[in-house]
Amino acid sequence: RRELPDGGARPNAAQFKQLVVTALRELHGEVGAALPVDVLTYEEKTLSAILRVISSGLVKLWSALTLLGSYQNRTCAFRVLQTSPFLLALSGNSRELVL
Amino acid sequence: MVRFKNRYVLCEVLSDDPRCRQCIEERAVGLAVRDAIGRVHGDYGLACCSISFTVKYLNAYTGTVLLRCRKDSYRLLCSALPFVRHLESRNQRYPCALNTLHVGGTIRTCQKFLIQYNRRQLLMLLQNCTNEEERQCIQKSLLSCSLTEEQSQSGDEEDDDGTE
Repeated sequence: RRELPDGGARPNAAQFKQLVVTALRELHGEVGAALPVDVLTYEEKTLSAILRVISSGLVKLWSALTLLGSYQNRTCAFRVLQTSPFLLALSGNSRELVL
Repeated sequence: MVRFKNRYVLCEVLSDDPRCRQCIEERAVGLAVRDAIGRVHGDYGLACCSISFTVKYLNAYTGTVLLRCRKDSYRLLCSALPFVRHLESRNQRYPCALNTLHVGGTIRTCQKFLIQYNRRQLLMLLQNCTNEEERQCIQKSLLSCSLTEEQSQSGDEEDDDGTE
């Protein structure tokens, strides 16, 4: 799950994916931009999304998102909330589970 | 033993344009290769490969280039070499292609390979040449190159000037 704080207009799903691919292209070149990344869900209100990537590409994706600084001349940052190999694990945080 | 290990990549510059030979220089080739690595592997790849990157040897007559890089990043370099399309120098761009001949750990192995490769190229040129004068020229350089190793390099240069 990723969250990005922003100032003005919000990107839609396609622009979000373009942002991710641009970040990969800057850090890892054409090889990075060709990494198959899928945006599974995207919420425009909270600007958070769930991305899927092949496990060998996790390091490249995470480092590229960390180093992305600007979106349409505005500063922005990606915050990674959770990573897991299972989609179901992203639905709840087991630390805050109330039994 | 802890030491920095390097890989030496031997490549050949192929070009249709005969004027491209004059602009084969160390700086031009180095810049073209770095630019290609930056495009293909991004900032990370460019920084990774540039740690110990130099053009060690260049022969403009035969178009032979010897590049050096770290052992950890030689795969990035080798995968980016096919993306070198132009050589630029003195505001002139010539289309060219880089062919990888050999990857070795030391300059000595690359030199040994280059000597054998040049010998094989001379023999192939002898079979393919049509002109009688060229034939005699090549035969003379072949005979002279079987004596010592230094003469084989100069015999190769002579032969290339003759066939161009």
